[in-house]
Amino acid sequence: MADQHDENLLPDMLPLYYTRYFPQNIFCRWLSCGNNPKPLSNRELSFTLADDVYLRYLSINDQKEFQTLLQKKCPHKLDIGAVYNTKPSIDRHDAVVLARELVFDIDLTDYDEVRTCCQEAIVCDKCWKFMVVACEIIHTALRDDFGFQNILWVFSGRRGVHCWVSDYEARTLDSPGRAAVADYLCLIMGGENQNKKVHFASDLHSSIWRSLTIIDKYFEEILQDQELISTTEGLKSFLKMIPDETLATQVQENLERMPRSSLERWDTFVTTYNKYCKENINATRKIKYLVEEIKIQYCYPRLDVNVTKGFNHLLKSPFSIHPKTGKVSVVFKPEHAKSFKLEEIPTIYTLLDDSAQDNVQHQSNMRAAVKNFQELVFSLEKAEAMRRKNDANASLLEF
Amino acid sequence: MDLKIKRKSNKTVITGSLVENYPHDLQMYKVPPTENISLHEFEALALERLTLLRCLSTATTLKGLRPYSEEWTEFVLNDLKTQGLKYYARLCEKSSCGTQDVASLQARRKDHIAHFILRLAYCRTEELRRWYIARELELFKMRFITMKSDDVDAFFNQNNLCYTSISDDEKNELIKYLRESTFHQSTQNIETFKFYKVKFFEVLDLVKARKVYLKGGYAYIPHKDFISVLSAQFRTHLRQSLAIACQHLGEIEQDERLVSLLKGLHQSYSGNDFISNTKIVIPIESIDSLSVKSFPLCMRQLHENLRSAHHLKHGGRLQYGLFLKGIGVTLEDSLRFWREEFTKIMELDKFEKQYAYNIRYNYGKEGSKKNYTPFNCLRIITNNVGPGECHGCPFRHSDINILKNKLKGYGLEGQAVNDILDVTKKGHFQIACSKYFDTVHNTGLDLGINHPNQFFEESQKLLQGEIKVVPKKEPKPSNNIKKEQDNFEDMDLDEITEWKET
Repeated sequence: MADQHDENLLPDMLPLYYTRYFPQNIFCRWLSCGNNPKPLSNRELSFTLADDVYLRYLSINDQKEFQTLLQKKCPHKLDIGAVYNTKPSIDRHDAVVLARELVFDIDLTDYDEVRTCCQEAIVCDKCWKFMVVACEIIHTALRDDFGFQNILWVFSGRRGVHCWVSDYEARTLDSPGRAAVADYLCLIMGGENQNKKVHFASDLHSSIWRSLTIIDKYFEEILQDQELISTTEGLKSFLKMIPDETLATQVQENLERMPRSSLERWDTFVTTYNKYCKENINATRKIKYLVEEIKIQYCYPRLDVNVTKGFNHLLKSPFSIHPKTGKVSVVFKPEHAKSFKLEEIPTIYTLLDDSAQDNVQHQSNMRAAVKNFQELVFSLEKAEAMRRKNDANASLLEF
Repeated sequence: MDLKIKRKSNKTVITGSLVENYPHDLQMYKVPPTENISLHEFEALALERLTLLRCLSTATTLKGLRPYSEEWTEFVLNDLKTQGLKYYARLCEKSSCGTQDVASLQARRKDHIAHFILRLAYCRTEELRRWYIARELELFKMRFITMKSDDVDAFFNQNNLCYTSISDDEKNELIKYLRESTFHQSTQNIETFKFYKVKFFEVLDLVKARKVYLKGGYAYIPHKDFISVLSAQFRTHLRQSLAIACQHLGEIEQDERLVSLLKGLHQSYSGNDFISNTKIVIPIESIDSLSVKSFPLCMRQLHENLRSAHHLKHGGRLQYGLFLKGIGVTLEDSLRFWREEFTKIMELDKFEKQYAYNIRYNYGKEGSKKNYTPFNCLRIITNNVGPGECHGCPFRHSDINILKNKLKGYGLEGQAVNDILDVTKKGHFQIACSKYFDTVHNTGLDLGINHPNQFFEESQKLLQGEIKVVPKKEPKPSNNIKKEQDNFEDMDLDEITEWKET
């Protein structure tokens, strides 16, 4: 819990946490699998020690070495980098990145212009719904469109989620490939000087229709939770997203007369829009997908594309502790994102304190998270074995 | 490799082997030429190829034509003819395999040899390689697009590209999605297309732009989109070949006759990279006043944002920090400047730990210790700008209304603002920036702005009286042509194409 949290306790607690709770064995198996065919020792690990001291280019040969390293350095934060052609600690300047999970980083701070319940580092169950939508959309696209199977979802420890794709094709995808996947998934573009950040010039791609179906399941709930168009300010920024001035004026007049309910106002907007389109067939080409564009701008996942595009971007490891919140970066199943309760996420403080109020529940949630991780690693190991067998057969055929 | 052009003695070429070697107007340049050629021909072929490639970039940047559009192709063909490169025009106009007359065969031979000569001239640096690959790719695409379907089939056969289309059953099952997601003209009927299944990473350009239907890791492409598969292969192959050529440069450079030619070829075309201005040191105290007139809009915006919010996000720090380095702000001044602003909203300790590193990094003092170059316009224009960020190009990354208010707020007069907005709306962001320059300085220089640091330097020259102010609206042709050529050579058209299309 936030009030129990004291960063100064970490140096004492972390060694205990790493021994008792951190799933070292599964973690090493996951990394080894992701390194294949290179050895585990070619993977870069990075530690953040007390007082923000960074140790980069660390590597381990096996679980035993990992355990020793954790006990010796007691990292406050643990990051995972890429797989190199050699051990990253040696010969760093000639090192070439060979592989790396395809990763995604979604952070609620990027939603600050749409969420009204919290800002910056603060998160509540209301804005967590944005993450629920994001998980479902990204997971579906990765699985159905790109055919990836081994997709790991991790709570980032404070205000977002990370996603790791470990399929062989994803791990060995080159930089242009990563950039293409990121751009395919990224629909919201534009900075401080652009009010409307979604533009669909041509007809919508099947993947966008599918994302809209997912958004529709949550849209009304989010609209009300966030009071997106019920407040004066919300309404103002909503109107800025309507490029057709005549329509914008009509909508403004209609909505301002109404009670301050986002849901009712939205319905009126849609009715006004439909009526306007019928009456002004010429003007509607530009705003053909306005309703869809606005829904996307409010709810579609906001990816940090630089993390995905970079081949050797460091990303926080699963089950690392977030030094500011003490929360464990738990692994969760995307279909359970809905039932994810922020206060039920285990923290290092409650896990190590038998008398803490939430201890029992956090213990059981921690076990569940480890189990999720285990399941993924097992299926990854199976897939890797299959792939190697196929490769071996293929090379036999060539002879 | 292709390094033995001069030394390998080979049988004299007879027309018969030309037919064998060059069965098609279009080729993938997989095998290097092995015949003997004279130095004179070597030089002539190299220069002609260069003219061809430059003609492609002129069509896109200077003429502002959309690559591969009819007007674009027409401009290229006409230009080639007026430049006396009829053989290239012939190859580009109707790439085919039918005609085997001597003129066609000779054209194909020249195309082949010249391509390999320029590989040697353009493999030297990453920048040159990128430019060369982008141009060659354009040429290849243009030639592929103008091919007739029989010739396309022949090309596929000759290059062992075998693909089988999906069954009618599978197509009928997916037809709804194929119609939604395949990029096509409204006049075209998707039902009549044959579809092929390729891995998604073979057609990254289509994936990136969401112009293809994806399912289970496969992209479903119609016949016409095979150009994406081919260009990807072409690009990868050329990239690898250039890397190999670069490693072997030492061998070829033993022949001095070639060295001067090959080096000279590219040297005349590299623009200034503004890596750091060693002569002038700009004291940080003068930044506020400089920013009003001598900063391009993108930097002025970043500067003002930093002053008002006391913070910039990563993209902004990078773009602005490198610009400051480029105009001659020292590392010590930079650190002091950022520290003063950032510590208004954070502890000094936090600044030193989280931000100072990046500033030293920009100056090549940390990490890989590279001396980073300030971003040019193209890099800035094609950059991603996300929520909460204010870097990028204000002409590209602003709503028109916001831009209008900003310009008016800076005291630009109505007509000038409208002129700038007009070109902005057409997507000519760099021209808009030139107009902004002229308005702020009350000149009519019509510089082609392609680098924020160039904006700064030109402005300083003007203000310090190095250039006489040319009265408005009077064209200054001699100076302009030189400038413009420098500009477009420096650009990577590959990227420009992308933002023009969006």
